[in-house]
Amino acid sequence: MVGGMATLLNSPPRLDPSALVRPGRVHRSVYTDAEIFRLEMERIFSRAWIYLAHESEMPAAGDYVRRHIGSRQVILTRDRDGAVHAIPNRCSHRGTTLCAFDRGSAPGGHSCPYHGWNFAADGRLRGVPQRSNYEGVLELGDYDLQPVRVAAYRGFLFGTLDAEAVPLVEFLGHMATSIDDLVDRSPSGEVVCSPHVLRHHYRGNWKLSFENLNDTIHPGFAHSASVVSAKAVAAGLEEGEPLAASLGMMLANGKPIQFFQDLDMVTTPRGHSYIGGHMGASYTADTQSAYAQALIAHHGPDKAARVLGTDRHLMLLYPSSTWHARYQTVRIVRPVRHDLTEIIGYTFRLPGAPEETYRNAVEYCTGANSAASPVIADDLEVYERIMDGNGFDAREWVPMSRGLREDREAVPGLTRSPATSEAFIRNQFAAWADYMGAAA
Amino acid sequence: MSDAGLRERVRALIEDEARLLDDQDFEAWLALFTPDCRYWVPVSLDQTTPGDGVAHFNDDKQLMAARTHRLLNPRAFGAEPSPRTAHVVSGVRIDAVDDDGTVHASSSQIILEYRRRDRFEEDSRVFGGRVRHVLRATGSGLRIALKRVDLVNAEGSMNALAAPF
Ligand code: FES
Ligand SMILES: [Fe+2]
Repeated sequence: MVGGMATLLNSPPRLDPSALVRPGRVHRSVYTDAEIFRLEMERIFSRAWIYLAHESEMPAAGDYVRRHIGSRQVILTRDRDGAVHAIPNRCSHRGTTLCAFDRGSAPGGHSCPYHGWNFAADGRLRGVPQRSNYEGVLELGDYDLQPVRVAAYRGFLFGTLDAEAVPLVEFLGHMATSIDDLVDRSPSGEVVCSPHVLRHHYRGNWKLSFENLNDTIHPGFAHSASVVSAKAVAAGLEEGEPLAASLGMMLANGKPIQFFQDLDMVTTPRGHSYIGGHMGASYTADTQSAYAQALIAHHGPDKAARVLGTDRHLMLLYPSSTWHARYQTVRIVRPVRHDLTEIIGYTFRLPGAPEETYRNAVEYCTGANSAASPVIADDLEVYERIMDGNGFDAREWVPMSRGLREDREAVPGLTRSPATSEAFIRNQFAAWADYMGAAA
Repeated sequence: MSDAGLRERVRALIEDEARLLDDQDFEAWLALFTPDCRYWVPVSLDQTTPGDGVAHFNDDKQLMAARTHRLLNPRAFGAEPSPRTAHVVSGVRIDAVDDDGTVHASSSQIILEYRRRDRFEEDSRVFGGRVRHVLRATGSGLRIALKRVDLVNAEGSMNALAAPF
């Protein structure tokens, strides 16, 4: 990868994070410096609540999934009493990772492939083969795996390595309403995670995708070729032939900027944000009415109308995940290295809702998270070019000042700005500086 | 027609389709597909229908047309310089023939892809796996109703994919 020494900070002290974020600008080394990435793993990803999994991914006792908290692998396992525990994926003997699959079932506990030490769902060391060799030497209890703190919000499981972290609901704050938005769309109150998962990656820093997803100015430029192509195909359609939903999504990027200027962006403490909905895709009339009926039966007419009337675009839950309630899609942002990031997309079924709701979710997630999506391919290209460009030249500071004077409303816990603003990026870096400011 | 004759025709069609992609002759490529076709690259070999989950590609003909139109658009910097591919098609088989003449065929394919981005060995990639074609008998011969590409790394994490497999 292009980069290296030239990208390190020169004038302010290199690893004093408080020197890297200034009003309306940020030092480029936050993207390009491997040492800063290491500090982020220690100070951000070890402190924040990190989205891990949904309860429905582990329906039965012994079911597990493997996930990441920053650079650390964790295993979440459902125990016989129905509780979900998270433990590090690391044998306490010689450090071998216990589990090599993303999901599976281990009703007999997790056995290490090397010498067969066996760990319960909650990390307790249950058995050591050839125990007699350890007679008077090893107490099993000394080698239990330390459980990771886990909390659920409406079935969505989060973990944190920080014993002192604020309760999950406080971490979520107003953003809990975007998770409500997803769950309340289910006429049965249940949501079920699909086993089919969509992964892509890029050679760039994890923050670049957080700074891109609610950037409403870039689509008109970065995705203009898709708009041109979608229009060309639309122009060639036979009389009465409907436009495919996937093309509708591509065309949504061609909206005039004033549309986004009028739309609201909401930012909240700890780096979170969302903007108002703008994809505008709707269900067919049959689905719309069957779905509305089912929701009314579950929620009553007032709440059902409120649920169906809610239209938010992506909610960015800093620093680990992005949520689209309307399309039942959650994406995990997995930082791998300072210059390598994986995005993992999950879709959810709403039991009791017409099948079309799931089709829409699948269509959205495929369009918004596949490396083969013409729109995503453009974003990935930009991320990698940002890494290249920030690897040289004398200009060290990256402005994030768009809309700096345009905030519309600020009440405790919530600020409203135009959706064209870079307020969400400034908000992310305020949280970043907060997490990074003090050593653990 | 004899079994050998049908197999020969199917093999020629699958090889031609791959060649048209390598030649970037997308208009001719699209013409090989039925109007209601599906081009599908699932994320798991367990997937049974294109609707049952997310996919790398899950295109109807409109999306195939938009995607390939974009590949030739110089403003599509995410695909520029545009990728060059070479398909190697091997082991074409007829797995089943329905009563109405619909042919279910499969082949093994390796796709070499090159896109010059100044990233040295990363500029070349290799994809491959089992490709399944559902070919429908039409007035103008066999046409592709479904192309399903089961990559060996279907579950894997992909970087940008511009060219169809
Ligand atoms: S390393 Fe795990 S049992 Fe020895
Ligand atoms: Fe984008």
